[in-house]
Amino acid sequence: MAGQLVKEWAGIQQFPVATQEKLVDLLAKLKNQNADTLTILVMGKGGVGKSSTINSIIGERVVTVSAFQSETPRPVMVSRSRAGFTLNIIDTPGLVEGGYVNDQVFDSIKRFLMTKTIDVLLYVDRLDAYRVDDLDKQVVKAITDSFGKEIWHKAMVVLTHAQLSPPDALTYEELFSKRSESLLKCVRQGARISKKDVQNFAIPVALVENSGRCNKNEHDEKILPTGTPWIPNVVHAITDIALNGHGGILVDQKVIHPFNPSIPKHNVMPFLAFVLQYFFVIKPIQKQIKYDVSRETIPSWA
Amino acid sequence: MGKGGVGKSSTVNSIIGERVVTVSAFQSETPRPVMVSRSRSGFTLNIIDTPGLVEGGYVSDQVLETIKRFLLNKTIDVLLYVDRLDAYRVDNMDKQVVKAITDSFGKKIWHKAVVVLTHAQLSPPDALSYEEFFSKRSESLLKCVRQGARISKKDLQNFAIPVALVENSGRCNKNEHDEKILPSGTPWIPNLVHTITDVALNGKEGILVDQKLIEGPNANERGKLYIPLILAVQASFRYFFVIKPIQKWIKDDIARETKPSWD
Repeated sequence: MAGQLVKEWAGIQQFPVATQEKLVDLLAKLKNQNADTLTILVMGKGGVGKSSTINSIIGERVVTVSAFQSETPRPVMVSRSRAGFTLNIIDTPGLVEGGYVNDQVFDSIKRFLMTKTIDVLLYVDRLDAYRVDDLDKQVVKAITDSFGKEIWHKAMVVLTHAQLSPPDALTYEELFSKRSESLLKCVRQGARISKKDVQNFAIPVALVENSGRCNKNEHDEKILPTGTPWIPNVVHAITDIALNGHGGILVDQKVIHPFNPSIPKHNVMPFLAFVLQYFFVIKPIQKQIKYDVSRETIPSWA
Repeated sequence: MGKGGVGKSSTVNSIIGERVVTVSAFQSETPRPVMVSRSRSGFTLNIIDTPGLVEGGYVSDQVLETIKRFLLNKTIDVLLYVDRLDAYRVDNMDKQVVKAITDSFGKKIWHKAVVVLTHAQLSPPDALSYEEFFSKRSESLLKCVRQGARISKKDLQNFAIPVALVENSGRCNKNEHDEKILPSGTPWIPNLVHTITDVALNGKEGILVDQKLIEGPNANERGKLYIPLILAVQASFRYFFVIKPIQKWIKDDIARETKPSWD
């Protein structure tokens, strides 16, 4: 990371005063708990709004966004400082490509994160998506396999496109509730969080509206359809996670190396393969050869 | 037809004007193809709703099979290929869906197709006007259809696939005549039906789904015929190039072995 310039968080000044005040309070809270940096990892499928969310939080167009294609070919970290506090946000490429979880993207993310500690994971998806399927579960599983189950102690779900009109016959609250529940269930399944472990993994869900058309309140703050200013709301949820007592995820060699001795099958498979081959292939062939040899009549002149 | 959750059933309900097929915001309510038929002054409209073609990252062959079986001996006059206007990526998965439709019904189905984009009452992303957004989204999807259906550049003018916008929500804006309109002001239901009519009368034939079409020559299926042949080749290869030499070496070894005189 030589040459990585940590800039002053100038973008904070373009927020309305009410939002700025709330953000400064939250940063102070973090500093009080001796946390003077925070590293946030943003992940999710392609096109859900990861880069847009980062631009919104930072208050500047720090990462390129296009409506129709991915502009994030590789992970990128954006760092901003304010009053002695440094915020690092890591944008990543979409985790799914053409129906498959993209292992290459995971590898590039893991390599990028080498020796960094993830304090908070933002798992991003759209509020206005109408199906959760096996692919979503595969994404969660891949995140869990890459970083360990503990990452879900430091995670929150971010739902974008929050300024929507819900489908007929559902109120906004009902839509939000059902959509959240749907996605959280998917996370629990993909991360293999057992029923009795569920209370240890209380994953908050935050709404986000990145469009310039986001409605505003009387203080000019961008608000959700519920009236809540969403930027302080997300940062508050992030702060709560940062201070929730669980350790950040240090991404070191053990995490990155694909051979994970804690996965039993990695240990057992080669051994098992050898044993099976010995008993079911080698020994029978030896026996067969011996049998053939013993049966063969030897001419008297041999 | 289309992927799951894009608004196929909602669009059918909008056109018919009644809740003829069940819709739920969070799950598929269309487990199998269903045909809705309505008559008016001697004219009969048949609309066939289908389950989503993608399941968990894969094009569902099962779903395609049930659709083909359902359509046996029916003629498809118009195909509505449905997707969302407010989707921001077109990827290989979409191409696979188009390819699967093409493999199942033949390339000619794209002479009778309309691309339907739902959720039309949207605010476009920053820095794009609604028209620009619609234009780019259409172009993106049409390019995907051309690639997935293998429509060559010179064949392009023969496959002029129209794109229609649809807004199925009850909150759809209305004009002074109480008609549901698009952000451009166009009443979208007559617009869609007009497009369907144009395609029906475009001179190209409807697709008769007969036994022959269902059974093959589906490029995917054709390969299966080769499997017994390949196995036979493998078996003979194994016999001549592996087994026989090993037998010979074993015999040679035995022959060369010196026998003690007491044996």
